[in-house]
Amino acid sequence: MSATGTAAARLTGARELGARRARGRLNHYRFAPLVLILVNVVLFAAFFAWPAVIGLVYSFTDYTGVGSFHFIGLSNYEQLFGDSAFYAALGRTVLFTVVVVPTSFVFSLLAANLMVDRFAKGKPVAHIILFVPWLISPIVSGVIWRWLFGENFGLVNFVIESLGGGAVPWQSNADLSLMVVVIAATWGGTAFSMLLFIAAIKNVPVSYYEAAALDGAGPWRLFRDITLPSIAPTSFIVILLTTLNAMKEYALFQSLNNGGPGTSNNLLVQYIYQTGFQQGQIGYASAASFVLMILLMVVALIQLTVNRRTERRR
Amino acid sequence: MNLTSRFRSISRRRRLLAATSIIAAGALALTGCSAGGGSTGDVKKLTLWLSSSAAQQKGFDQLSADYKKKTGISVDVVNIPYSGYAAKLHNAAQANALPDIANVPALDPIWKNKLIDLRSISGKSSNNINQSYVAKGTGGTTLAIPSDVTSTGLFINKSLWEKAGVTFPSSPDSTWTWTEFIAAADKVRESTGAKYSLVYDASPSRLRAMIYEMGGKYMQQGSDGKFSADSATEKAVDYFVGLNDDKTMPKSVWTSGADPSALFQSGQVAAYWSGVWQVSAFATSITSFDWASVPTPAQPVQAADVNAGGLMVGFDNSDAEGTAAKAFLDWMYEPAQYTKLAETNGYLPVEKGLDITYDFTSKAALDAFGLYNKELQVYKPISGYFLQAQVKWALEGKSFTTDPTVTEIGKAINGQQSSADAVKNIVAGYDKQVGK
Amino acid sequence: MTATTAARATRKQPSAPGTPTRPRTRTGTRQLGRTIRATTLLWVLALAYGFPLLWFVLSSFKPAGDLFSFPLSLLPKSWTVQGYIDAWSSFNFYQFFANTFLVAIVTTILTVVASCCTGYALAKYDNRWLKVFFVCILATTMLPTEVMLAPTFLVVRDLGMYNSLAGIIVPSVLTATGVLMFRAFFLTVPDELVEAARIDGARELAIFFRIMVPISRPIMLTLAIFSFQWRWNDYIWPLLVLNDPNKFTLQIGIQSIVGAQNINWSVLLGASVIAIVPLVLLYLVFQKYVMNADLNAGLKD
Repeated sequence: MSATGTAAARLTGARELGARRARGRLNHYRFAPLVLILVNVVLFAAFFAWPAVIGLVYSFTDYTGVGSFHFIGLSNYEQLFGDSAFYAALGRTVLFTVVVVPTSFVFSLLAANLMVDRFAKGKPVAHIILFVPWLISPIVSGVIWRWLFGENFGLVNFVIESLGGGAVPWQSNADLSLMVVVIAATWGGTAFSMLLFIAAIKNVPVSYYEAAALDGAGPWRLFRDITLPSIAPTSFIVILLTTLNAMKEYALFQSLNNGGPGTSNNLLVQYIYQTGFQQGQIGYASAASFVLMILLMVVALIQLTVNRRTERRR
Repeated sequence: MNLTSRFRSISRRRRLLAATSIIAAGALALTGCSAGGGSTGDVKKLTLWLSSSAAQQKGFDQLSADYKKKTGISVDVVNIPYSGYAAKLHNAAQANALPDIANVPALDPIWKNKLIDLRSISGKSSNNINQSYVAKGTGGTTLAIPSDVTSTGLFINKSLWEKAGVTFPSSPDSTWTWTEFIAAADKVRESTGAKYSLVYDASPSRLRAMIYEMGGKYMQQGSDGKFSADSATEKAVDYFVGLNDDKTMPKSVWTSGADPSALFQSGQVAAYWSGVWQVSAFATSITSFDWASVPTPAQPVQAADVNAGGLMVGFDNSDAEGTAAKAFLDWMYEPAQYTKLAETNGYLPVEKGLDITYDFTSKAALDAFGLYNKELQVYKPISGYFLQAQVKWALEGKSFTTDPTVTEIGKAINGQQSSADAVKNIVAGYDKQVGK
Repeated sequence: MTATTAARATRKQPSAPGTPTRPRTRTGTRQLGRTIRATTLLWVLALAYGFPLLWFVLSSFKPAGDLFSFPLSLLPKSWTVQGYIDAWSSFNFYQFFANTFLVAIVTTILTVVASCCTGYALAKYDNRWLKVFFVCILATTMLPTEVMLAPTFLVVRDLGMYNSLAGIIVPSVLTATGVLMFRAFFLTVPDELVEAARIDGARELAIFFRIMVPISRPIMLTLAIFSFQWRWNDYIWPLLVLNDPNKFTLQIGIQSIVGAQNINWSVLLGASVIAIVPLVLLYLVFQKYVMNADLNAGLKD
């Protein structure tokens, strides 16, 4: 690159800057963004789009995992929408999501704030304690929470009985069983959201707080008026990811109550497993999976729109 | 300044891209050569897949060491975790990367055509293999031979029974009926203050045992390919659902997966219906009370659900490897080697007339194995029905991936449906997966 | 809650003109009150989260027979490390550790690089196709992995990556979570920073590598922690892809303790604790950087 080239570049840069300012945002750079996203585009095409297309094709067939298959059009989908067990699973999934997302959000945000708070003592130890549950696999988590909330020999019932109460049917009652899963899911999922929040809170410029503190704002007002709005993009991600993960939850239910009692706590993925994969109905399972994906897409788009509107308002 | 900074920036960008692509290339280079590609000529190495506890792998490790000493061929024993084993075999078949020998839980239609015919081994009279448990294909071929058989059976908390002063039979000749057994167990529970009379593994095979014993035949396939359940089965299911009333039996085992073995080991339950595989675990882990194996009830049929602990198969990956695999299996089933295997692994033998001295230190365990071996002699053929049925379905290209029994019975216990509906749904589930 | 600022505010007070000076005692009491409140709250939370953990760790020291004994006991009646010994000898821990480390490190590096680039592109460039790609990336979180297993396996097989560590590494590099994290972060980076660099004549990719990447270090570290844990705990995918037992990863070994009929809990608990220790150590190292990073998105001079 010659010196004149540099000067010319500077001139072009200035001209471009002017032109860009006129157009608003940076929307005429093609090369740079393409290079940046190239790797992920290739990976997406190979490991998501290609298998998804295969799965989509299966959903229109009666494939059983082995041998040849025949196209049966939409009958998998028709069967799905006529199955009352599907709607039961859907309702249960929505209920679980609606309870676990706010719970998880509140606890992780609380934990993150405490972690950043200079006044809290003993942070390093607490940090580890809050982090380790996330590392534990669902099987072990299942043992731990069954031990705590086991109906027959659980610690909580033991304490309740020694205080004179009656044993609570934590596993035989569908709603109580769901509550135990919510607790276990929050316990295990807090660290993930907490780390995201910590990074976001630390990103808020100190000058904002200084200015507000000079006006005499107390900690709650500082939190509500400065922290919350500034970490909005991260809050959005946390809510989105928690929602998506909650609606896809399977392993935790399997290890805690096996979808029980009976099938009353079957969520959508377990439904897909039981009626689809475990009975060799690959076509049906693929159809149900795509319906799940569309549902999740709708949820994500709704959240995206709400988020964009809030962003614009700010 | 700009010149150098731009140069540096380009270099750094290129440097980073280069680094990334090197890492990526390195990762891809780890691809190496995939498994498969049968070698022509002498076979020096065979792979054997199984899924078992570390204790039960020892028997095969020993076989492998002895075989190497005898023939110089090394047999690599690979232990695959149970919960992904069937999927792994399935996928390995799709990738053309099956092992040479495997101890499989069931036959999968996707690789049934790669199986070596083992009839010369199963038919050899010196092996004396019990033919009702051999997996037979069409045209007299033998697709698989069980490595061992497992049987369902009954355990009791002997300390509690002795404390309550209730007697129990000790030999299959003088066994009791279900009504007598439940009455006795209830008496034990009431007089000792135990929590439950009986816990029962949440598994279709255990339920089948009770149904056989009450004269039913469970899910039978008619000549038209459709399944049905006889009235004795329906009565037995109804009886079973009635027992799960949180007094005699806890609901949580069949409805939401509570661990019955843990419940029994806590010492709070009078009896436990499970199977022979618990014996070695109990021998070490039950230390706070005495336990014992007792004869299974008969009302009036003496039977249990007998299955293969694992099916030994050989895969015909190539001519040379297939022959070598068959030679290994041939050697393995010779009574001398098989007895050693059964002793090390604590197996119930599929060969008859062997003299096995198990090396358990616990007397309860030794007695238990003695009882199981005795019971196997008197069980009616219905006990092996499901084993043969599964082979038949695999041959027809159907896979019975999940038995709907536990879910449907769980729903009945939970009050979501009647036991008659549960039976109907189970029949429907069978029809859908393996019916015609 | 953000006491950093309150502390600074109190320090600034004597110098700020026109601000009424507050008596030291009241500030001191307020600080004390804040400390007590914050610390108590933190420790209530830590105890609630820690109690199940405590049981988990203590149970790994109990002999097998005691695990489900009644009445319940928190502390072991007799301490034993037999579970750990059995776990260590039940499979080739060293080899599996090494394999898992390799997979985790390589995947993490690639994931962080790819997600950083993509997140930046999605945040700072306005393009219809970029928006479409963003939705595509979100879509990758919407098909549960269990469902994608079989078709993805066929793809991996057709690409020749069966029975190789690459078969685990490459499909795991794309992660919607990572992209979302970086996108959110770069959205908070003011556009003025980019434009200022442009005025200086820097090229787009140079801006990215020389300015944006360094300031996103806390996000990179956070994603690195996540990615490492994901690969560390991966089970079903490595099981399906790997044939050669010398290439097996940690979770395959741990799952092999879970038998077909019964689970040897004391061994499983011991193995789980062993498997978690490296992650905790790694976290201890990384969190120092994350917690002490003082970012202000380049606006401070």
